[in-house]
Amino acid sequence: MLVYTMRRVLGAIPVLILASVLTFVMIDVSGDPLADVRMAQPPPSEEVLQQAEARLYLDRSMPERYWLWMTGIGGNGDIGLLQGEFGPSTQGPQYDIGTAIAERLWTTLRLVGAAMVFALGLAIVTGVISALRQYSKLDYTLTFIGFLALALPTFWFAGIMQAAGVKFNQLVGDQVFATIGDGRFRAQGEPLWDQFLNAFAHMALPTIVLMLISFASWSRYQRTSMLEVMNSDYVRLARAKGLRNHTVIRRHALRTALIPLTTVVAIGVAGVIDGAILTEVVFQWRGLGDFFITAVDNNDSFALMGWLLLSGVMVILANLVADLLYAVLDPRIRYE
Amino acid sequence: MTTEHMNEEHTAAAGADDVVLEVSGLSVTFPSDDGPLPAVREVSYELRRGEALGIVGESGSGKSVTSMAIMGLLPRNAKVEGSAKLLGQEIIGLSDKRISEVRGQKIAMIFQDPLTSLNPVYTIGYQIAEAVLAHRKVSKKAAMDRALELLEIVGIPSPEQRLRQYPHELSGGMRQRVVIAIAMANDPDVIIADEPTTALDVTVQAQVLEALQKARQETGAALVLITHDLGVVAGQVDRVGVMYAGRIVEMGAVEEVFYRPRMPYALGLLGSLPRLDGDRGDRLTPILGTPPSLRDLPEGCGFAPRCPMARDLCHQEEPRLALLETGDRQDAVEDGGSVEGTGPAHTAACHFSEELVGATAADLFRATSVDTEGVGSVAEVEAAESSVAGARGEYLDELGEEPGRAGSGTAEPKVLLTATDLVKNFPIRSKGLLRRRIGDVQAVSGISLDLRERETLALVGESGCGKSTTARLLLNLIKLTSGEVSYLGRPLHDLTDRRMRPLRKDLQLVFQDPFASLDPRMTVADIIAEPMRIHGSAHRDARKRVSELLELVGLNPEHGSRYPHEFSGGQRQRIGVARALSLNPRVLVLDEPVSALDVSIQAGVINLLEDLQDELGLSYLFVSHDLSVVKHIADRVAVMYLGKMVETATTDQLFSSPAHPYTQALISAIPLPDPVKERTRERITVTGDIPSPADPPSGCRFRTRCPKFANELSDAERAKCVEEPPELMDRGAGHRDACHYSKVIELI
Repeated sequence: MLVYTMRRVLGAIPVLILASVLTFVMIDVSGDPLADVRMAQPPPSEEVLQQAEARLYLDRSMPERYWLWMTGIGGNGDIGLLQGEFGPSTQGPQYDIGTAIAERLWTTLRLVGAAMVFALGLAIVTGVISALRQYSKLDYTLTFIGFLALALPTFWFAGIMQAAGVKFNQLVGDQVFATIGDGRFRAQGEPLWDQFLNAFAHMALPTIVLMLISFASWSRYQRTSMLEVMNSDYVRLARAKGLRNHTVIRRHALRTALIPLTTVVAIGVAGVIDGAILTEVVFQWRGLGDFFITAVDNNDSFALMGWLLLSGVMVILANLVADLLYAVLDPRIRYE
Repeated sequence: MTTEHMNEEHTAAAGADDVVLEVSGLSVTFPSDDGPLPAVREVSYELRRGEALGIVGESGSGKSVTSMAIMGLLPRNAKVEGSAKLLGQEIIGLSDKRISEVRGQKIAMIFQDPLTSLNPVYTIGYQIAEAVLAHRKVSKKAAMDRALELLEIVGIPSPEQRLRQYPHELSGGMRQRVVIAIAMANDPDVIIADEPTTALDVTVQAQVLEALQKARQETGAALVLITHDLGVVAGQVDRVGVMYAGRIVEMGAVEEVFYRPRMPYALGLLGSLPRLDGDRGDRLTPILGTPPSLRDLPEGCGFAPRCPMARDLCHQEEPRLALLETGDRQDAVEDGGSVEGTGPAHTAACHFSEELVGATAADLFRATSVDTEGVGSVAEVEAAESSVAGARGEYLDELGEEPGRAGSGTAEPKVLLTATDLVKNFPIRSKGLLRRRIGDVQAVSGISLDLRERETLALVGESGCGKSTTARLLLNLIKLTSGEVSYLGRPLHDLTDRRMRPLRKDLQLVFQDPFASLDPRMTVADIIAEPMRIHGSAHRDARKRVSELLELVGLNPEHGSRYPHEFSGGQRQRIGVARALSLNPRVLVLDEPVSALDVSIQAGVINLLEDLQDELGLSYLFVSHDLSVVKHIADRVAVMYLGKMVETATTDQLFSSPAHPYTQALISAIPLPDPVKERTRERITVTGDIPSPADPPSGCRFRTRCPKFANELSDAERAKCVEEPPELMDRGAGHRDACHYSKVIELI
């Protein structure tokens, strides 16, 4: 298992390098980080521009800059991934990309994590129910809900949910759902119950929005996988042994039907991160999604690179975890 | 299991009311978009304590569905009517709680595919213990002890270790024995075995059947053995029921049904079977047509559309399963059948079963190679045959224009395809960082053979022996590791794909699976014309040629515009043959061409292959695991084991005087469809499973399973088997075998 993990981690390095080269080139050709400065009225002096270019290393060629971004050799000490520096930002010399990412990572992970946990739990439950009651009214209803959820665009649904939350608050006459902000610093130092209420108020709506699409596709997948297992010979043999129906379903059907879901969930991580950007923007969370949008707005290429690298690492890690989990769940898979 | 318990069983067997399972009027209907599908219709039978009942039938006859209905294992949407009483208790329509008390406790089941019937994520021990714990209030420890005991009974070596292993670590034969252990865990009264050995190799089949018999001895259970293999039925059961289109059409003592069938279908089934104890010259008599679709069953007798003696009454009224006047009892005794006093009742569902007294399959069915869809009336078949003959005549005329083809050779037949010391290794890579090559799967290790003109050479062996790999090497479809292949003296193995292409015209291939080998999105005419198109020989008369070819393989030439799914398995295999023939090849490599087909259909395809060879002068390389078919069709046979050739001889030599212990075991393991012969013949059994070709045994590769090595040889003699790989030695008249101590014996 250790050797396998090592091989996978080593194998991830060229993938990440190649991905970073591609994104670096694409970001580089897609816009001038100093476009806003150049367009400013009154126009800045040549000297100011040169200073800004030098600070952002725009006076060097693209390959040089990539090398610099990666290693930091020959830079001013504020760049070089291998030295733990993400590079200078267009958002001012005080703005440190690393610190900003670290600050926002928790906010986003909290949202992504909660959405995935709820999506997975709900997907398994509805998928299993659908499979066990195949072609029943319940199955058709759940199927309908699933496809509806798949068809709802996140940005639109987020807006609707936000409006609904506001309406609900008005009706109840109390702030049940907080529809703006992540509320991270709101309840610090308060009693635990208040902290929980605060977290719930802020997280409930965005989590629902973000989990919906993943839930829909995963529950469909779980239904299919469960149906397949229910028709398998070993489930029939388990019944033929004289096991009760609920034991057969829990011990023989569900246990094996969950295995392939790990892969699907791991692949789904990228999609959830995508969704998190939109959700965070609509609900005005200061998370990584907001960080990404701000970086795009400011042509902040090094910030973008940092974000892309981080999400790349997250996706690769999720897949590695899924593969290792596979080995734990399925005795046929062994990594030596 | 104690002796006391056994005695108890025997006392019960002696009791008057000893029916353990009584099925009456059982019908199963599946709803479908096109209306209800009656899969089983009014099936009734009784099973007595300790008795073995066989249910035979072809695919779709409803034999499995019947037993699933009894077990209550059908999907929720299946409509089950009628009754099944187990020890007097009605078990159809029980609640989940009540039926689960019966299943596994009083009635147990064994499924067809051992590779899928065990849950991959639990250990063997857990899965057996689970069956014990489902019905007995014992500790987990005690259940595990019982599991260990059961594994010993079914003959699994080093059972303590196996308990902790997962299913994928065991071979198919072992897994099926584990399933048998699960079935006998609670000493059931009835065991239903649904095709328990169909997925296994013959030598392993013999071992599993033995384990099944052991299980019956231990538990005293009655057995319902469902199978399509008439040989297995002949050796294992007391009574047999034949199913067709969802009904039992004949039932009786196994000797009665096998020696004196009284329903045309049963007779036809026996006649269409290539037999190990038959002669090579015997022509098989296929049952024409295909089983009816359950969606629209014919009015009257379900078999009438395929029955050569069907009359108006047969098309109007469905015959009951009626008790026969057994006027031929006397003959039975003379034949050595085990009829004493009043044997079990012999029943048949045929209006004219009286006329079948003393009839043979050849009297009724025509040994033809054509395929008609409708009633097998003589006139129609004759018409089809004459038009086929016409088509073949034209075909031969065209061939005659090709130089060097028409002359059928007077002296020694010309050698077409030669292989010398063929070796094919597939690399095994390490799972470490560098994935180095750490070994080889030695699929083929030094095979030499010649294929002569107008000859059928059969390559036989069990799964994994390298026979299909050899076939592919001969066609240069995969690159060989070393050795040589030449066609008419031209080496093939180092030709590039482009240089090979013109030669491919002469060397064509027919695949095993008629469902997967035809592109479902192409019409049959396009499929057959495709090789001509590739080779640029599709002229404007390609269409004419396609209909000629269709006629040549016994199909209706007007069906060229249809798609493959509109044809039955046998017809599709004929299409595969037509495609292979479209380029006028000289050699056909047939890779298990009939093993996916039901016997009644298989016979027609075998006849076709024989006719085509006679008329077109083809050479066949016939790859098969089925020795009965091989005996019927081949001129020479090469037996393979773990990548090596162990014996090669003419068909007569090989079957009348097999020399290598593996060949002997293989022949002896094929069940004969003849109850008396099958029960009295001498058996040579091999133990264990085929070793991995990645790590074959040293010296003789067969020695780990060889009965001679285990039982007859002295230690000094064994040393030679371990150290020295035996070479193929000529025993005279071209009969060669690779055994240091080979000795010819007679088996059939």
